[in-house]
Amino acid sequence: MDFFRPDSLAEALAAKAEHADAVPIAGGTDVMVELNFDHRRPAALLDLGRIVELHEHGRQDGKVRIGAAVPYARIIDELGRELPGLAMAARTVGSPQIRNRGSVGGNLGAASPAGDSHPALLAANAEVEIASIRGTRMVPVKDFYTGVKRNVLAPDELITAVHIAPATGAQQFSKVGTRNAMVIAVCAFGLALHPDQKRVGTGLGSAAPTPRPATKAEEFIATELDWESPKPLADSVLRRFGALVAEAASPIDDVRGSAAYRRHALAVLARRTLGWAWSEHLGGGRRACA
Amino acid sequence: MTGLLEPKAIGTDLRRRDGALKVTGAARYAYEAPVDNAAYAHPVQATIGRGRVTSVDTAAAEALDGVIAVLTHENAERLASTEDAELAVLQSGDVAFRGQVIALVVAETSETARHAADLVTVHYDEQEHDCVLDPDGELYKPDKVNPAFETDTAVGDVAGAMASADVTVEQTYTTAMYHNNPLEPHATTALWQPAGDGGDLTLWDSTQGVHPARSTVAEVFGLAEDQVRVVCPYVGGGFGSKGTPHAHVILAAAAARAVPGRPVKLALTRPQMFALAGYRTPTIQRMQLAANRDGVLSAIAIDVVEQTSRIKEFAEQTGVPTRTMYRAPNRRTTHRLAALDVPVPSWMRAPGECPGMFGPEVAMDELAEALGIDPVELRIRNEPEVDPDTGHPFSSRNLVACLREGAARFGWDERDPRPGVRLRDGWLIGTGVASSVYPVHQMPQSTATIRCEDGRYVVEIGAADLGTGTWTTLAQIAADALAVPVADVQVCIGDTAYPMASVAGGSSGMITWGSAVVEAAHAFREKFGDDPADGDEAEGSVSENPMAERYAMYAFGAQFAEAHVNADTGEIRVPRLLGVFAAGRIVNPRTARSQFQGGMTMGLSMALHETSVMDPRFGHVVNHDLAEYHVATNADVADLQAHWLDEHDDKVNPMGVKGIGEIGIVGTAAAVANAVHHATGVRVRDLPITLDKLLPHLP
Repeated sequence: MDFFRPDSLAEALAAKAEHADAVPIAGGTDVMVELNFDHRRPAALLDLGRIVELHEHGRQDGKVRIGAAVPYARIIDELGRELPGLAMAARTVGSPQIRNRGSVGGNLGAASPAGDSHPALLAANAEVEIASIRGTRMVPVKDFYTGVKRNVLAPDELITAVHIAPATGAQQFSKVGTRNAMVIAVCAFGLALHPDQKRVGTGLGSAAPTPRPATKAEEFIATELDWESPKPLADSVLRRFGALVAEAASPIDDVRGSAAYRRHALAVLARRTLGWAWSEHLGGGRRACA
Repeated sequence: MTGLLEPKAIGTDLRRRDGALKVTGAARYAYEAPVDNAAYAHPVQATIGRGRVTSVDTAAAEALDGVIAVLTHENAERLASTEDAELAVLQSGDVAFRGQVIALVVAETSETARHAADLVTVHYDEQEHDCVLDPDGELYKPDKVNPAFETDTAVGDVAGAMASADVTVEQTYTTAMYHNNPLEPHATTALWQPAGDGGDLTLWDSTQGVHPARSTVAEVFGLAEDQVRVVCPYVGGGFGSKGTPHAHVILAAAAARAVPGRPVKLALTRPQMFALAGYRTPTIQRMQLAANRDGVLSAIAIDVVEQTSRIKEFAEQTGVPTRTMYRAPNRRTTHRLAALDVPVPSWMRAPGECPGMFGPEVAMDELAEALGIDPVELRIRNEPEVDPDTGHPFSSRNLVACLREGAARFGWDERDPRPGVRLRDGWLIGTGVASSVYPVHQMPQSTATIRCEDGRYVVEIGAADLGTGTWTTLAQIAADALAVPVADVQVCIGDTAYPMASVAGGSSGMITWGSAVVEAAHAFREKFGDDPADGDEAEGSVSENPMAERYAMYAFGAQFAEAHVNADTGEIRVPRLLGVFAAGRIVNPRTARSQFQGGMTMGLSMALHETSVMDPRFGHVVNHDLAEYHVATNADVADLQAHWLDEHDDKVNPMGVKGIGEIGIVGTAAAVANAVHHATGVRVRDLPITLDKLLPHLP
C-alpha cells in the first residue's frame, strides 16, 4: 500500500488525479476502522493531515466555511454560536477522542446514512466544496449523497470544505441511540428555522439509504407557520409534521432497532425539535441541547 | 477458629501500588513482554459452523515475504493430551463451530501474519449446524453443574403447593448471550528454549492464574510443570474469561515450539475474542413461586435451560442461588443443556449467580405486586433461619440488614407502589429492588513465603491482580499478620517462580491467598520472632476451614435502582443505582468500592445494553466488536453508590473476608427490570430491556 503525504492542497489534488484509487484519510476514525477490520484494502492512502487550509474555518461570502478536516471538537468549541445545529450534532459523535479526530469532511466522504453531521447539514442547506485539478465546484448537500455510503465525488475529487450560512433562527438536533454515548444512531433528526426565507429545513439520519430531507414535511410546515406574528403551534400541527417526517423515511430493521421503531421515533423527534425551536423563536429562550 | 486479625492496615483506603505504573504506561502486559526478535502469530478461523476441513492450501501464505511457518492440523505437533477439546488445537480437521482455529500463521510482523492468514485457502465438507438455543429442542441433563454442584435438587411437592397456594407466579425469564470483553484482549507471548533438560517453555500470558495456566499447558504438551514458567504481573481485566487458558494459549505455545529459541506473540483481535475466549450462555429460566396472602412462600422452583458447546461441556449453575435465597418448604431446581455447534462457554463474572438471580428476583417482584406487599418486605418475610439447601446455619447472613439500610439510604419508604403512574417532563419514573448473593469460596491450595530483606518483608505468592487490587490488599493483610506497617511489606505476585497460588476466580483470591499469607506470617514469627535476620524465610499454606462443613457461608446484598422511561420513545435511563453489601470485612475501601461499582455497572450494562447477537445462518456473533456490542458508557451511569455493612464473621477465615469481586453484578439487572416495570407497568422478562420492547406497551 502506498502512502502519500502532500504538503499542500495543490499537491493533494495532483496526487488524487494521478492515483484515483487513493483513499483520503484525515482523522482516520472511519478509514482506520475499515482497514483494521479488513473491510477495504486500498492501493494507497492520501493523508490530508499536513494541508493547513483543510484544518481552518472562516467566513466566505457571508457563510461559514469549514475546512474538511476541522475536527468536531473545534466545531463545538468555536462555531456553536453561528452553527448551533451542527454543534449539537457534533456533541453526539463518538467519544472525546473521536471528536478530536473526526471531521465533517470525513462524515461526508464516508456518506454513511448514520453519520451524525448529515441531518444538521441538510437542515441548514449546507453546500459541499469539492476540488480537483479540473477546478472547484459547489454541491448542495441534499444532492451530495447518491446511495448507501456513496456520494457524487468523481475519482479525482476531494472534499475541501462545507459552506453553511450562519443560523438566522433556532436550530435543533436530536438522536436516539441504544446507549448515551459512543453510539451509532438508531435514528436522528436535524431541524433549522430559516425566518429570513420563511421556511424550515430538515434532515433525517439512519432512516433511509442516504441522509435526506423531509421535503413534504418542510412544505407543510412552511404553510402553517406564521412568521410575521408567531403564535404557539397547535399539537395537531406538530403531530402532522412528525407524521410527514416519518413518511419521508424508508428505514430498515437491523441490530440497532426496527424499521417500525425508527418511523415512530422520527415522528417524536420531529415534533419535539420543532416544538423546541418554535418556542425559542417565540422568545422562550434557547435550549442548550436536545 | 480464634479471633480475627487485628485490623490496622486492613480497612485503610491505600492507593493502588500498581496505579502509577499503569497510568504512566510503564506496567508491562503480556503482549509487551520484554523479548527480542519476536515473531507474531495470527489464527485462521473456520468459516463454517460445522463440518470438516478437506484441504488447506497454504502456498500463497508461505510465499509471502516474512512468513515463517503456517501450522495446520496436517503439520502441527501432536499434543500429549487432547482430553480438553477446546485446547486440542490443530489436531484434526473437524470443525465444531464457526470461528474455531484451523490454521496459524507465524510471521516476522503482526501485519504480515494477518495478511498471510487471509491468503490461506480452506476447503470444507460442510454439514448443517445448529446454534439456536431452543427449550423444546434436544436437551440433556449434565452430571454436575459448575463447578461441582448437584444438577437438580428437589424437596417436597412444588406442584401441590402451586395448586393449593393463594397466589402463584409462573413465568419464564431469559438472559442473553454475553461476552466478557475485558479491555485487554487475550494475549500470550511464548518462548520455547529447547536447551536444558528437555526444554523450557516461558509464557507471558494475560491470565487470572499463572499456576493453573501452567498446569493446563504442561499437561497439554506433556511437559513437567517445572519446564513451564508463566508470568503475568498485570491483567487488563478478565471477568472470568482469563480464568482458564483458551485455545490461543496453546496456539502460542505450539507456535513457539515450532520456532525454537524465538519468542512468539499472539493477541486475539476483538472479533476473534467472540469465538475463542469464552462467554456466558444464554439462559431460559422457568420460575414458579407459591405463597399465601401474607407473602410467605410455600414453594420456589427454577428450571433452567442453557447451552454448551458440542465439544466441551460447561454447565452454568444458574439454578443454584435459588437453593439458598428464601425459605420455602417445597423447592426444586433443575438444569438442562442443549449441546450446540457454538463456541465453548465458560466463566463470566459470577457464573450461576449473575444470570440466576434475574428470574427469581423479578419473579419476587411480580409476587409482591400480585400480593400488594412491598417488595423489600416480601423478601424479609421469607428470610430463612438456616440455609434451605444444606440445613446449616449461616456463618453470617445480613440480607435483611442490607435491604433495610438500602431502603433507608434510597428513600424507599416514600415509594408509591402503583406502576406506570409517575410522569415528569415526559418521563415515566419508577424504582425497583433486588437481592444479591455470592458464596464464600476458598480454594484448596495456595502457598506464600515471607522473607526478611534489608529489614523489610517480602511476600511471594503466584497470585493475580486483574485490576482487583491484589498488589495492594495482600500487602495490607501481610502487614497486619506480621504486625508491621504496610510500608515495610513488599508483595511479589503473578509468576510461577513464586509459590503456588489458586486462580483469581469465584471471588476467592483474598480468602485463599490471604489465608496463605497469614499462615506464612504466623510461621515466620514463630520461627524468627520479632527481630528476624536478613534472609530469614518461612512458608505457609491455606488449610481446609473446618467451619465450612458446619456453616453456610455467603455474602449478601441489596440493590436499588431508579429508572426513567421516555413516554414517547421508550428510551431508558437509570439515574440512580444504590447497593448495600454485607461481605465480611473490607480490606481496602478504595479498591472495594471499585469492585462493587464495577460489578453494578456491568449489571446495569446487562440490564440495558449487552447481548451477543448470534446469526443462526452462519453461527457467529454478528456484533463482535465494541462499536456494536454495547457496554455501558460513562454517560449511562449517573448516581452510582456502593455501601457496605460492617460485618464481623470469625468463621470464614482469619481475615474475616468473604470476597467481593462478583457480588456487585448479582441482582442489578433484576433491580433495573423491576424499576422499569414500576415506571411503566411493562414487565420485560427478556434481557436486555430495550426501547422497542417497551414502546408498544407504554401507558
